[in-house]
Amino acid sequence: MKREGIAIETAGVSFAYQEGTLALADVHFRANYGEFIAMLASNGSGKTTLIKTLVRLLKPQKGTVRVAGREIGGYSQAELYQTVGLVFQNPNDQIFSATVGEDVAFGPRNLGLSETEVQQRITDALEAVAAGHLRERAIHHLSFGEQKRVAIAGVLAMKPSILILDEPTAGLDPAGEGMIMRLLHRLNRQQGITVILATHSVDLLPLFADRIYLLSRGRVLREGPAREIFCDRDLIAQASLRLPYVSHLLDDLNRLDGVPIEDVPLTLGEARVQLLKLIPDELLVKPPREEKR
Amino acid sequence: MFSLFSDFFACRDNLLSRVDPRAKLVVATAMILCVILSTNPALPFLVFLTCVAATLALRIPARLVALRLVAPMGIVVALALLQSFMAGGTPVCTIPIGPWRFTATHEGIRTAVLTASRVCGAVSVVLLLSLVTPAHRIFHSLRWFRVPQGWVEIAMLMYRYTFQLLDLTADLTAAQQLRMGYAGVRRSLASMGTVCGTVIIRSVDQAVHTHEAMVLRGYQREIPFGPMPPVTACACGGTALTVAALLLLYVAIGRVG
Amino acid sequence: MNHDGLGTTRLGPALFATAALLLCCPPTASAMHISEGILPAPWAGLWFALSVPFLIWGLRDLRVRSEKEPMFKSLVGLVGAAVFVISCMPIPVPTAGTCSHPCGTGMAAILIGPSLTVVITSIALLLQALFLAHGGLTTLGADIVSMGVAGAFVGYGVFRLATALGVPRWPAAFLAGLLSDWATYAVTSFELASALHGSASVGHTFVAVAILFCPTQIPLGILEGLITAAACRFIETRRPGLIASLKQPGGGAA
Repeated sequence: MKREGIAIETAGVSFAYQEGTLALADVHFRANYGEFIAMLASNGSGKTTLIKTLVRLLKPQKGTVRVAGREIGGYSQAELYQTVGLVFQNPNDQIFSATVGEDVAFGPRNLGLSETEVQQRITDALEAVAAGHLRERAIHHLSFGEQKRVAIAGVLAMKPSILILDEPTAGLDPAGEGMIMRLLHRLNRQQGITVILATHSVDLLPLFADRIYLLSRGRVLREGPAREIFCDRDLIAQASLRLPYVSHLLDDLNRLDGVPIEDVPLTLGEARVQLLKLIPDELLVKPPREEKR
Repeated sequence: MFSLFSDFFACRDNLLSRVDPRAKLVVATAMILCVILSTNPALPFLVFLTCVAATLALRIPARLVALRLVAPMGIVVALALLQSFMAGGTPVCTIPIGPWRFTATHEGIRTAVLTASRVCGAVSVVLLLSLVTPAHRIFHSLRWFRVPQGWVEIAMLMYRYTFQLLDLTADLTAAQQLRMGYAGVRRSLASMGTVCGTVIIRSVDQAVHTHEAMVLRGYQREIPFGPMPPVTACACGGTALTVAALLLLYVAIGRVG
Repeated sequence: MNHDGLGTTRLGPALFATAALLLCCPPTASAMHISEGILPAPWAGLWFALSVPFLIWGLRDLRVRSEKEPMFKSLVGLVGAAVFVISCMPIPVPTAGTCSHPCGTGMAAILIGPSLTVVITSIALLLQALFLAHGGLTTLGADIVSMGVAGAFVGYGVFRLATALGVPRWPAAFLAGLLSDWATYAVTSFELASALHGSASVGHTFVAVAILFCPTQIPLGILEGLITAAACRFIETRRPGLIASLKQPGGGAA
């Protein structure tokens, strides 16, 4: 399902909680169909609030939210939640059934689908997150990483065209983190699902995100591809975040030690290419037949 | 306590756990009814031995079985003593202790033995059932048996979140213990109060989050239950046969004595 | 009470049995639930019949209130889980170093009202019967009546009465916890006595059973009261208004 245009957008959205904290101030946010968007923000910067306005759990005091070009208030429940899906940060918030299969079935059954269709959706959704083998398992016997994947499957079973995830990699080990990111990448590229990801872990983002929104204290500080966001070290610091470690290192080498690096690399691969350029060939001790990365 | 509360064994694959949960519920209920209707202690004891043998045959650790049987056994002992000494009738023996004389009667001992046999038999049935049937399958079956929707829904939510809150409780208690929260009665009580309060507050917050997540997946006041697979002829026949056999046993020996 | 010779000889052994049991058999204190198999069929049936109207009432309440407040069902489920977990917590009983568990019904009644407490108690009892072999399937009715109905309504009534009389929340919670525990204990004793008195009179057996449980249940009730009060106080300071808002969703006190 290749579609063109804007999948979801907010225009001038402001939100203040009852006790007076201003969580969002005039936020303009946009995700096009098929994009992989990251909301990069430190804790308490309003990203969860923004996400909640995107799925109508919160109604902004000012501004509008549009889904597929239509005002979000005009959607029926069934219509909206088959368009936008939200995966919560804590899988425990979301998974309430006793078994994996039952939980994934919850959404489709609410839609009143036939039992064969429900079963098909469970299979598809679990396959999509590489959790087909967990189907009959009890939730409390799953590892945290497995719970996260099941939570994603539960939302995928609604077949949303836009998938929003709040901190999908928080609390996972490096392998689990990589697995979730690759899964999301595959969903995005193969099934064309628009992925919106809120996170504060910066190291993996440049590999996956098409565009990044940098949020701080309820405002969008900057928006653009990873390269544009991460070129301004001060801005990143202002948002209580940091550069990816590899960028940080090479930037330091450049600024403090005068190593000539033109373009600060964002990923390991880029950094490797840059460094190899600087080292004369005769200094390299070539290992015998080391395979490529 | 926490390790006892586990359905680890119920999730294992074995001969009994593969049986349709509805069949198991019906048979278990029939067995318990036979046990408590029986006036002859032999039948309950027979049931007890069968169930314990089955439990052990399924390689469930004897320690676990014993642990779960300890609590009801305590009550059995208390009641047996009470009944043996309190009923009137033919005296069997008299034990003088201090200013009192205790007279055990023939009738008293007989009722005591009967009660004890019933408790052993019935408890072992429930124990076996719980060791071969995960709770969620029991809830699903209950829905099939037309138990009200609201009750089963609440039961499922309670069951699901019990494990999470147990973890929380264990963590909180451990954290308190490490900082001397349980030194002395006063401090223990304060610490326990804090744990209870925290668990309740957390549960209310969790309810809000869970509800939000449910709404996002189209929840409209009722959790939809999927259909259960149709009852197979095999399960049906097996249930009928077992229940019939139980009835025969009951008629043969249950009413004697 | 008129202690004739017969009565004394029958109560004596009970006292002796108590002492003996407390020394050698710690789990007696969990006898708040009547074990599977203890009650003869007619009595089990009677208590079931008694508990059903309360369950229906609770389920009706659930339906009505969740229509007004869609979140109500998850709330009841989660508070139920919390109370169940609390009732699984071992608490130290000073006498004879035994361990027992609070009932949590007083607390539940304060939080979500008595009729729904009956519902969650029935579920908690089923789970305990299945997982821990505490209580049982045929004795479920009797246990619901003693723990759910008696415990919840006494606890709730005491709490409402005390707060209406101007007693601050946490002493009221103490009373609710204490009396709901004792009410449960009294009803359980009666249930046991009425079913098992044999040729002795119900009254005598009741007294004997009651005395049998006294040494654990009296301090247990006090502890339960203290814990309920401490929990209430903690919630009041952490989340003022939570208790009031739970009781009347969408109106009244909140």
